[in-house]
Amino acid sequence: MKIMIDAREVMAYPGETILEVCRRENIFIPTLCYHPAFKGQGACRMCMVEIIDSSGQKRLVASCTYPVSDGLKVITSSEKIKKTRKTLAMLIAGRSQASPFAQEIAEEYKVKPLFFKGFENEKCILCRLCINACEEMGSAVLAAVSRGVDKRIETPYAEGAEECIGCKACAEICPTGAIEVKEENGQRIIWHKTFDLIKCANCGKEFATPEQIKFIEDKTGRKMEKFLCEGCRKRQTAEVIKEFSV
Amino acid sequence: MVKAADEGKMLADIREILDNYPPEERYILAVMQDMQKRFNYLPKAGLKTLAFYVGVPLSRVYAMASFYKAFSLTPKGQYVFRVCDGTACHIKGSKILIEQLYKCLGIRPGETTPDGRFSIETVNCLGACALAPVVVVNDRVYAKVIPGDVEKIIREYGGYAHEGKNED
Repeated sequence: MKIMIDAREVMAYPGETILEVCRRENIFIPTLCYHPAFKGQGACRMCMVEIIDSSGQKRLVASCTYPVSDGLKVITSSEKIKKTRKTLAMLIAGRSQASPFAQEIAEEYKVKPLFFKGFENEKCILCRLCINACEEMGSAVLAAVSRGVDKRIETPYAEGAEECIGCKACAEICPTGAIEVKEENGQRIIWHKTFDLIKCANCGKEFATPEQIKFIEDKTGRKMEKFLCEGCRKRQTAEVIKEFSV
Repeated sequence: MVKAADEGKMLADIREILDNYPPEERYILAVMQDMQKRFNYLPKAGLKTLAFYVGVPLSRVYAMASFYKAFSLTPKGQYVFRVCDGTACHIKGSKILIEQLYKCLGIRPGETTPDGRFSIETVNCLGACALAPVVVVNDRVYAKVIPGDVEKIIREYGGYAHEGKNED
């Protein structure tokens, strides 16, 4: 099907969202809670665009969740959109005061953050990417707990969860580094739980937890003989491929 | 704190509540409402069993439970004093009632007495401004409450544990 984005006709496929089409067509839409690995969440509202329906009525929608339909008309930049993004930037920077990432957003949108009291050390912008990452990994121990200004990302009852394997996927995906991970003396402390760390058989770098290895082994049904860190694993694969490419 | 026998009874109660619903995600809220009614709060065992029963992660159930104000994650007292602190009640002295309750029960809004009998909550508006200030104890409404009434109301529910010990 064909849709119109800013007076430009582009191809779109059923089931795609406006954002996905724009990303493919190199049309810039700012996002905070979107990651290509997951579905659009519609949480941060940064990706708001205007659509024009058949009766000529303009409407703001979140492009990361809005599915395309034939003949859809989209406007990706307007005064209204700019205004909503400015408000968001102000609120996000006001809440996540300890996050340079959030402060940069406010600078970029030229707004003065509305600093909330009691959020001086806050880094989290509540984009929920960690929740998604945790769920996709298969543990699903993270959730947005409570509501309103008290909302925060936590494990149930703010205690170490049984299912947590200490894989750090949540911290890796976090755009602001809000998730605390302590790694010292061969141990990793994350989400109120302490894990031992396994050393890479090749370079000796501590890279994974036994729970993580077990999780992967259970999932793939294959026993790992040698524990290699990401870098060493890539190198090993490259060595193997090299043999074939000659 | 909870005795083994109580725990057994609680698990039986939880099972009984769950038996009324098919194991589907959409019944989570209904089950939690029943639990709140039965136990006056959502016990940890209850949420865990519920999550397992409907097949969702505990984190999802916990997020829902913490989102709604109708649910409590810590044990609530047998009698919950809901003091209206809406505009009308506020002007008519609901703050003084809360102070009086503190003097009598030794707890602030959101807290429960150590004997587990009384809790105090504030409500933004009960919609009965003509009766200001309003206090609702469980399902009973007390209208135009004056500080002197507070003790009488508490006595209706069996009085407070430390009564007579440190009254001054």
